[in-house]
Amino acid sequence: MTMFNDSERFGFAPSRRDTLKLLSCGFGMLALRGLCAADAQDLVSDPLAPKKPHLLARAKRVIFLCMNGAPSHVDTFDYKPALAEHDGQTLSGYRQGAKLMASPWKFSQKGKSGLWMSELFPELAKHADELCLLRGMHTAVPAHAQATIQQHTGSFQFVRPSLGAWTMYGLGTTNRNLPGFVTLNPPSGNGGAQNYGSGFLPAPYQGMRVALARGGAANRRGAAPESVANIKNTRLTTEEQRAQLDLLQKLNKEHARRDSGDAQVEGVIESYELAFRMQAELPGLLDLSKEKKATLDAYGIGGGETDAFGRQCLTARHLAAAGVRFIEVGMGGWDHHRNLREELPQRCQAIDKPIAALLADLKQSGMLDETLVIWGGEFGRTPYAQNGDGRDHNNRGFTTWMAGGGVKGGFSYGATDENGIEAVEGRMSINDWHATILHLVGLDHERLTYNYAGRDFRLTDVSGTVATDILS
Amino acid sequence: MKSILLLATAFLSLTTAVIFAQERNQGQTFEALRRRLDTDLDGRISESEFPRGKAAFRRLDRDRDGYLTAADFADPKARPSGGTAVAARAATPEETEFFEKSVRPVLANNCFSCHSDNANKLKAGLKVDSLAALLAGGVSGAAIVPGDADASLLIQAVRYTDSELQMPPKKQLDEGAVKNLERWVAMGAPWPGAVVVDAPDAPAGAMKPTKTPIDFEKAREFWAFRPPVRTEPAATKNTQWAWSTIDRFLMGAMEKAGVTPVGDADKRTWLRRVTFDLTGLPPTPEEISAFEADRSPQAFETIVDRLLASPAYGERWGRHWLDVARYAESSGKDTNVVYPQAWRYRDWVIAAFNADKPYDQLLKEQLAGDLMSASDDDTRAANLIATGYLAIGSKSHNTRDKRQFSLDVADEQIDAVSQGMLGLTIACARCHDHKFDPIPTEDYYALAGIFLSTETQFGTRTGPGNNNPSSLITLPAGAHVPNGPSMDPTVRKLLERTRDRFARTAEGGMDAPRTGDTVADKKRPDPVDQQRLRVARQQVAIFDDLLSRFDESGRALATNRLAMGVTEGKPRDIAVLDRGELDKPGAVAPRAMPQVLRTQTTPPITRGSGRAELADWIASSSNPLTARVWANRVWLHLFGSGIVRTPQNFGASGQRPEHPELLDWLATELVAQGWSTKKLVREIVLSHAYRLDSIDNERNARIDPAVKTLWRMPDRRLEAEAIRDAILAVSGTLQTDIPPGSTAGIIEGRVDRDETVNYITRERPVRSVYLPSLREHLPDALDVFDAPDSAFVTSDREATNVATQALFLMNDVDVMQIADAFAARLLAREGKDSDRIHYAFELALGRKPSFTEVSAVRSFLEDFETLNAKNKKTADPRRDRRPGRGDAPGLGGTGVLPTLDPTRAAWSAFVQTLFQSAEFRSLG
Repeated sequence: MTMFNDSERFGFAPSRRDTLKLLSCGFGMLALRGLCAADAQDLVSDPLAPKKPHLLARAKRVIFLCMNGAPSHVDTFDYKPALAEHDGQTLSGYRQGAKLMASPWKFSQKGKSGLWMSELFPELAKHADELCLLRGMHTAVPAHAQATIQQHTGSFQFVRPSLGAWTMYGLGTTNRNLPGFVTLNPPSGNGGAQNYGSGFLPAPYQGMRVALARGGAANRRGAAPESVANIKNTRLTTEEQRAQLDLLQKLNKEHARRDSGDAQVEGVIESYELAFRMQAELPGLLDLSKEKKATLDAYGIGGGETDAFGRQCLTARHLAAAGVRFIEVGMGGWDHHRNLREELPQRCQAIDKPIAALLADLKQSGMLDETLVIWGGEFGRTPYAQNGDGRDHNNRGFTTWMAGGGVKGGFSYGATDENGIEAVEGRMSINDWHATILHLVGLDHERLTYNYAGRDFRLTDVSGTVATDILS
Repeated sequence: MKSILLLATAFLSLTTAVIFAQERNQGQTFEALRRRLDTDLDGRISESEFPRGKAAFRRLDRDRDGYLTAADFADPKARPSGGTAVAARAATPEETEFFEKSVRPVLANNCFSCHSDNANKLKAGLKVDSLAALLAGGVSGAAIVPGDADASLLIQAVRYTDSELQMPPKKQLDEGAVKNLERWVAMGAPWPGAVVVDAPDAPAGAMKPTKTPIDFEKAREFWAFRPPVRTEPAATKNTQWAWSTIDRFLMGAMEKAGVTPVGDADKRTWLRRVTFDLTGLPPTPEEISAFEADRSPQAFETIVDRLLASPAYGERWGRHWLDVARYAESSGKDTNVVYPQAWRYRDWVIAAFNADKPYDQLLKEQLAGDLMSASDDDTRAANLIATGYLAIGSKSHNTRDKRQFSLDVADEQIDAVSQGMLGLTIACARCHDHKFDPIPTEDYYALAGIFLSTETQFGTRTGPGNNNPSSLITLPAGAHVPNGPSMDPTVRKLLERTRDRFARTAEGGMDAPRTGDTVADKKRPDPVDQQRLRVARQQVAIFDDLLSRFDESGRALATNRLAMGVTEGKPRDIAVLDRGELDKPGAVAPRAMPQVLRTQTTPPITRGSGRAELADWIASSSNPLTARVWANRVWLHLFGSGIVRTPQNFGASGQRPEHPELLDWLATELVAQGWSTKKLVREIVLSHAYRLDSIDNERNARIDPAVKTLWRMPDRRLEAEAIRDAILAVSGTLQTDIPPGSTAGIIEGRVDRDETVNYITRERPVRSVYLPSLREHLPDALDVFDAPDSAFVTSDREATNVATQALFLMNDVDVMQIADAFAARLLAREGKDSDRIHYAFELALGRKPSFTEVSAVRSFLEDFETLNAKNKKTADPRRDRRPGRGDAPGLGGTGVLPTLDPTRAAWSAFVQTLFQSAEFRSLG
């Protein structure tokens, strides 16, 4: 019961009578009684308390680098020598007149493991031995909106809780000064808030949206460079606000004394203390101004292509270190129907250095082993050309990768056919991918269920197989 | 009997397989045709679905039934003659031995990995692990024709003679194995212990292994499917406590459990409770003192009748229904398209609750208002608007396949109607028979047929992310309906300018070559440019349509009298889709009500879509669920949880009623009182149970911690709307008049731009029910307090107490502005500070402050003023006072905070703590 330890802060010490009353039939007892009651689910007020995982957790947290727009796999992580040979050939059975297009970029083997990667990621290639490429990915629909929603919630058809929300539901959170699930700059389209929403799970599991500086335009509009909704009071000083909250908590306790049946009071009191601590802690984590120049340089922060994504990656690292459970970092602009030769290298460059720095940073601080880093788009792109210099959507085969907690490094799992159109080996659906991610954080996707509308729902619905081959 | 079935089965698969064998080279199998052309999903091709003219259609329609079916494609010569047909049949011992030795191993070793129940991924929908599965076949039709090896696809495949049909794909079977398979099929494919296939009249490809039939007679014995029975409460030992029938039932439950009711709440607590419950607003200090002064025996009745008659009642109870109706003003899901006319349905709901429209009538109008007779244009318009209920659900407008879209819309409608009105989860039966309730897939598709025979008119136009537009319903000219919200003239100008920009693009300002274009590419029109032209034209159409409904000054015109809703479509039955998949149609399910709920009085569907019959059947006192489900919802809104604690699931996986006799009494009472919701509400809030204090009692709590027997009034957290409206009301800033339409009513298209969202959701100090309700973009003030996003039916809202709410009430600029207004209201009063503090508590919490509270507030005001004055002297003038980007407008302020003098700052900070307090959001 924090409030008794904090009597100074609250400005009054509970009398002996108050204490007895609170202990005997006050809200503490109510919560305890709730736990014992058959309807514990209705009465327990803290859905975010840490929970014991089903399995041995290989990773304590997840950083998901989400590449919105679908990066081309055959130009980045899926080496297809046959595609180069077939360059210009027409493909039967696919889009009329579609001609295969060799990747304009060279591939070579990287690291001790000899993982094949394209020249577009020179910095990330230095961490090839940490990467676990998943080359047999496939998803249901080749449309951005549906595929993005499916990537995040498992279903493109129905509104369902997101991966981060399920993770929170399964594990709770360890740092009560911070939200447990944070999404940095989520796109507002393609399902928008659904991608970090809680669906039918209780609302506290939804992701907290943090808007980071995306470059000049946002700042010109006069907005704060970093913001979480209502994270800062624009009128009161911290001291003034603390005085205000002290009055508030006195009123709350007075209410608890008067209406002993109101089991919510404790939750309300705690929510203000958490908010107050969050105000103090979160902006600090988002503030990169105190970072060493060397760190900023490593992440590519300080202008140029890498600045925006570098900020997100460094922020993600701060949040991870502070105990945030699930962090999503977003990067759009991968939808290269044309101008592939010009634009894909720009995109890759924008993320290459920041991701390399993130992996190095996590490794150096000993966190990589317990952090699952995931990279991927909602689908891949066709090996055949579109508009001469572009590639179309391809949901039948693409590549994502994982690194860190619990996965084999320098490893490639699954394969597409010789041209890179269809996943043929080590096929991994989104359900399989989700099952594997949950497994890595210690959750059994078949046991992580929530009863809604008369049915036990799962993130993976009725399928999903953990890719045990990739576990380290 | 068995042999007849087997024969029929064999015959049916025979016909398809033969057609397939004969016509496959021309690519004209019936299956292929059906998949392409059967847009209405009834498993057959009608003349209007057939693109190649009447003559060709008639030639193909051999049996002249007006539809192309598998039978029309059968080769008459291939039909088995008389009783000599070789059919799949039970195996003799010799055949069994041959099968087990030479056939099953071949199938198991070479085929099962892709074509069996154990397949990792079933290929082509084909299983070869049972006779039924072979006869049912996969996407290409039946795999074998018993007795005819040459006509059997399976045999053709293993022969490896056709380059496009070779199985197993990687390695040809040896000759002996092929011969054995041929021999087996030729002998009639005897499969030891073969299962008889059911559904003799199902088209080929639709057959399923027999499943255990549901025993509906037995299923109807489940409590929720039996009609409510009205009983009198049993006699209780305590004869003094109960004031009404409701109380007698509850006293019985309490005595049985061994608990005793706590004392009554004081008058103020009861008044605050009932005022919030009936109107969603707090009582004013004047109302409190008037009630306290009223010593008459009718004092409580007077209050209840006043509240029921207040327009705020409809705004409160209409909102409860809007949760059930998953009301929103945009599509949500992938591309989130605005529904600019949705608000008409919202206003209809509020008016209906205020008028106490009988609940059965309320349901009927929402399901089939368009089919009801109306004496005048006003009634007709209202009936049409009511059907908006079916049109406002969330949709994936991006879906490319029109049939998939229609099926998903129907699914959403089934889900809303069944959970909302019937307390059943019928949508579970889309892919398989319901796992818990006696609802087979046939029942689902029988209902889906009703909704697919209905045209859902949700509006919206083709555009980026929207492949599925529809028209809207034009309201009768003589009806007195509002034209809709006005458009700010500057917005109109902005829209015109944007329209013109798209128009210039659409007129072809696109010919400049861009980097990356090669000469070769320019020979043909660039598909990307074409795409841009198309989008520009679509945008112009959207803007023109929108602008045509508003005059130059931005006032809505009569052309804006459009409504979302439904109209009749082409009546049709549709096929059951295996696993809910479009390309796996089975037997046609005639439109009907779910079997378990069918009785002699269930109306048969004889005309039109069947919606009228559906409405009559749902809104009927003989439907065992409807009245119970609504009575339970009413109870839920007055006691915090339902008698059935799963209000949208009365099925086997839902919870059983705590007090079944009480629930049945309430349900029958609702019907007996002409389905009047107001009378039911009145009956409940005047009960002794509703008068009880919310105080805890240790002894009772040990026995009944979840307060199931209602030995005290459970504490509840106010809903988002009530919290926001109360903040506005107590500060004196609430506008209680009904705003015209919705700010979303002047927008068309997607809501993925922050600017659009901010414009629409910029809040006005109106009651929360009137705020625009865009899916995914609820106003902050509602979102943080668990207002539903309306992706699905909501019955029982979350009631969380989390940090985002604290941050909102601590830091939101609008909350602070409202607090400023509240402080100003107090400071404008004559008198001492302690009087002002008293008044603040009366306004915000409906009670007088305690001595401790007054002194705490006084010392806070003093200390804060000093602190604030000191800080002002040392304040950094450059301090950032601008709102952050994440600070979406909350309550209707300007987003800029004025600087206050220390006294006002202190009072504002104090009253803000009242908004923040646990008590403010709590209903004791």
